[in-house]
Amino acid sequence: MKKPRIVDKKWLVIAIIIVSLVVFSVLEEQKTVSTRAIVLAISLDWKDNEYEMGIQVLKTDGQQDKQEFITYSTTGTQMTEIISKLSQDTGGTVSLCHTMALILGQNLLTKDNDKAIRFFVENEELCNNTMIVASKGSPLEVLSAKLSNGQGGGYYIGGMLRNIVTDLGVIPIIVKDYIKNRYRIGGCVYMPCVSVEKTGDTTFISVKESFVTDGHNYAILSENATKGLSLTLNKLKGGELSYSFDNKMGQVEIVKTSADIKAQKDTATVKIKAKLNDRAYVPENIDEKRSVEALQKNVKSYVEECFKTCQEQGLDIFFLGQRVYAQGKDFYMQSDFLENMQLKVEVDITMK
Amino acid sequence: MENDQKNKIYEEQFLLLAFISVVTFKIVMLPQYLVSSVANNSYLVVAFMVAIEIMMLTVVYGTVKNGSILEQDFPKWLKGVFAILILVSSVIKSTVRGSEGIAYIATSLYANVSWTFITLALILVGIYIAQKGAKVLARSAQIFFWIIAFACVFFIVFSNIKLDPLDLMPFKISGELAVACDKYLMWFGDFTPLLLVTVTKSKNHGKKRMAVWTLFAILGAFLLTVGVTILFICTFGEAGELVGNAFLNVSSLNKIFFMIGSADLPTVLSWLVMYTIKFSMIVYAMSTCAKFFFGDKFILSIISGVIIYCIICFGIGNLNTNYALDISWLRYVAFFIEFLVTIVAYIAMRVCQSKKEKQQNNIPSENITQQNLNQTDELQGEI
Repeated sequence: MKKPRIVDKKWLVIAIIIVSLVVFSVLEEQKTVSTRAIVLAISLDWKDNEYEMGIQVLKTDGQQDKQEFITYSTTGTQMTEIISKLSQDTGGTVSLCHTMALILGQNLLTKDNDKAIRFFVENEELCNNTMIVASKGSPLEVLSAKLSNGQGGGYYIGGMLRNIVTDLGVIPIIVKDYIKNRYRIGGCVYMPCVSVEKTGDTTFISVKESFVTDGHNYAILSENATKGLSLTLNKLKGGELSYSFDNKMGQVEIVKTSADIKAQKDTATVKIKAKLNDRAYVPENIDEKRSVEALQKNVKSYVEECFKTCQEQGLDIFFLGQRVYAQGKDFYMQSDFLENMQLKVEVDITMK
Repeated sequence: MENDQKNKIYEEQFLLLAFISVVTFKIVMLPQYLVSSVANNSYLVVAFMVAIEIMMLTVVYGTVKNGSILEQDFPKWLKGVFAILILVSSVIKSTVRGSEGIAYIATSLYANVSWTFITLALILVGIYIAQKGAKVLARSAQIFFWIIAFACVFFIVFSNIKLDPLDLMPFKISGELAVACDKYLMWFGDFTPLLLVTVTKSKNHGKKRMAVWTLFAILGAFLLTVGVTILFICTFGEAGELVGNAFLNVSSLNKIFFMIGSADLPTVLSWLVMYTIKFSMIVYAMSTCAKFFFGDKFILSIISGVIIYCIICFGIGNLNTNYALDISWLRYVAFFIEFLVTIVAYIAMRVCQSKKEKQQNNIPSENITQQNLNQTDELQGEI
């Protein structure tokens, strides 16, 4: 039987050449890195029925010490239209896939029905590790802020949040956390709330509070309530808890914390387990038992403040509705489900 | 004879091809579609259907250990029917399922390039492997197995798995699951190409080792498909209905993605290898069936490739059309053929085998009777 011609080695070579030619012609269609405007951070807000979008890009001119953070901004009703406008402004194709932070305005978070976020997710415009934050004032102002350390506001936020993922304080969230929480019962999302602060000649970004919204209502959590939020919803491995009694101030380091939330018809129970060590700062002649009691009281008040602030705005911050649904029960559908909910907080502290 | 040889594969190679068949298409877009239908119970649909698929693959193995169904001693008309049915199923699977992978490469790996380039590259590889036969297909799978294994190890080592019952509960078995099984039938039952190979006993592995490998393959296929769906639900919750390319998105959210970015290259690479092999397997099935009628001509492999190319690029062209075809009546045709051919082929094989055995049993008894008759004649003559 005659051997089919394809078995000949020359065919193999031809096939490889064709495949590589095809693959390279595909690559040719792509824009090279030099013709792309690599976006480090984005600001997005909803103003006068239009999106206002800003992007921050880095220009180095080939020298490391000549870094310049440049911000471009424009408005439009469609995201695709805005991106194409920004591409024209930057003189290259805007590439959003390296974006470190997405700074959202309060208007956008409460009035846009997630259209913009859905655009980013469905079109895979952003990478999976883009951080989302809410801006207390104008997000464009935060993005374009020139900080005293020479960095651009947006770039700084992206880098800083990556280092505090498991620390006490704001809970950094990424795009997938945002959409996941929005699809839960209650649709409540939380994110760090940022603002530009000035002290004398120093300009810095403050990231101490949290922004909570269900797409319509919103609440801004104070620094203490934010601590309560992170103690309840995050597994912490760092940060410091302070306490005081008898006019003495003390501080302990967090080694590990975890929380368990249970929802019943009228009661929600939050059990927090914390492993702490007193290496941070403990006043002399202090009684460990009393300091633990003071810490328990503080933690309890943080969690209660967080829950109460959100409850007043009708925000199910601890996903109690989802927890009831997971039990196969349906009383979360009652209109006064959250309103009547009483919170019990139990804190178990172990000193190392 | 040469044709027989180039379609002969070993048991371990069959296992690998079966594993690739089960896993490849179920970890891309299916989790997204399932979440939009049955939310956090999607994994139950995958678990149920994959279990059936694995059971069917044992039937496939039972059939092809005696040879490819087109080379066994079946009546020619039956082989012809099998060839036509597998040809139809392969055209549907290669175009409808194939375009899903092309969409992923064209939109996610590259930034929205034309499907024509990607399809062309893929078709060339498919035609080449199809022409070379199942042996080359299996050997390729065996060589690239290490990439798949490495990707799995990488995934396990760096994974950031947070299994939260809040995302997976409540555990509800309802009619919705059956509806979802029916709606997404197109993603299940990819075993007919394996009916066109001949499996021979492994030379390198003993019975015990083969049993261990079989267990690994079954567990691996089950864990990978159901596991990716569970992880997808835990990662994205019900928002998964917005997120395509499940395996990529799940694996990229690992422990190091804040440090060096989404280290998803091993997963992408391993899936591309599986996809290329799976796609080539379907092109191989198409061309083998065509060759049954028109002889072993290289042009048939090219024609098969050209048909697939034209349907994918000019008929389907985008993911929305692809999805519409996925959930159209075509799914019943493909699924019916996949199951029908497998079961009928097995029954036919058993009938042929028992006929053969009967014939073999009849031959000695006829000989004995003839001998007895001869002896009687001789005795009568003597008398």
